[in-house]
Amino acid sequence: MKVFVVIPAFNEEGEIAGVVREVLPLIDKIVVVDDCSKDKTKEVASEAGAVVLRHSVNRGQGAALRLGTRWSLQNGADIIVHFDADGQFRPIDIPRVTAPLIAGEADVVFGSRFLDNTTQMPSFKKKVIMPLARFVNFFFLRVKLTDPQSGFRAFTKEVGLKLHWRQDRMAHCSEILSLVAKGGWRIKEVPITVIYKDFGQSIFGGFKIIKDLFIKKLTK
Amino acid sequence: MPQIVIALLIIFYFLAKLFWQNKKRKISRNEFLFWLFFWLVALGIILFLKPLDQLVLALGFSASAIQVLLYISVAALFYFIFSIRLRLEKMDENITKLTEDVAINQAKK
Repeated sequence: MKVFVVIPAFNEEGEIAGVVREVLPLIDKIVVVDDCSKDKTKEVASEAGAVVLRHSVNRGQGAALRLGTRWSLQNGADIIVHFDADGQFRPIDIPRVTAPLIAGEADVVFGSRFLDNTTQMPSFKKKVIMPLARFVNFFFLRVKLTDPQSGFRAFTKEVGLKLHWRQDRMAHCSEILSLVAKGGWRIKEVPITVIYKDFGQSIFGGFKIIKDLFIKKLTK
Repeated sequence: MPQIVIALLIIFYFLAKLFWQNKKRKISRNEFLFWLFFWLVALGIILFLKPLDQLVLALGFSASAIQVLLYISVAALFYFIFSIRLRLEKMDENITKLTEDVAINQAKK
C-alpha cells in the first residue's frame, strides 16, 4: 500500500528540511504544499526530497491539505497522512497512525494527544481550551473523540475521494471530524505525542473557527 | 428647524453632484436614476416629517418617524453587510479553487 504524507507549509524554511528527511524513510512520498511562503520553503523542501506544490496566493492550511490530498489521490496514494511542517509531530508516530488502515481495521485514524500522557500541553490549553473544543464538537457536530483538534490524521484512498471539506483555514480540523463522523466510516484514535514549540491555537482562534464554521454553513 | 435646513443642504449637495456626474458621463444612466430616486425619497421624508410622524403613530410606533427610519436603516445596513460577507465567502472559495487548479497544472508541467 502506498502511503503519501501531505504537509502544508507556510514560511517553514527552518524546519521543513528536517521534517521531510525524517518522514521520507517511513513512507512512499511526501507532498509539501507551500502556501505562498515568503521564504525558501519550496526550495528547501524540494532539495530534501519532497514533491512540492505551491499556492500562488496564501489560502490557508485547510486549502493546502486539500490540494495535497487531491494530488496524492491523482498520483497513486492508497493511504494519505496529514502532518505538520513545524516539527511538533513525531515522524515515528506515522506507522502508528497508518497501521490500523493497513490492517483493514479502520478507514480513518486520528492521532490523539489525550490517550496517554506523553504530550506536555500548556496547562490553559489542556484544562480550558480543549474541554471547550470537545464540548463544541460534541454539541454542534456530534463528534465524540478524545482529541477535538487533531491535525494528525490518516485515511484510505476511498475516504479521500469522498471527503470534501470546504474550510480553507483552521476550521478544517473540526469540519473534517464532522464529515468523517457523518460519513459512517470506521474511526480509530491512536495515541501520539506532540512536542509543543508554541502555544498554537488560542481561545480567540477557537472563536474564529466557530465563526468560520457558521459562515460556511450559510453559503452551502 | 436648523436640522432640517442642514439635512436639505446635504441632500441638495448630493443631488447637484449627481447631476454633475451624469452630465460628465461618470455614472451610468441606471445608476443615475437609482441615486436620483434615493435622494428624492430622502428629500420627501425631510419635507414631510410631520405627516410621517402621524403615520408612524397611527401604525403603533411610540418613536418619531425619524427614529423609525433610523431603526429601519440599521436593519437594512446589517442585512447588506451580511450579504456582502456571504458573497465574499463564496468569492474566497472560488479563489481557492482557482489557486488549487493552477498548482495542479503547474505540477503536471
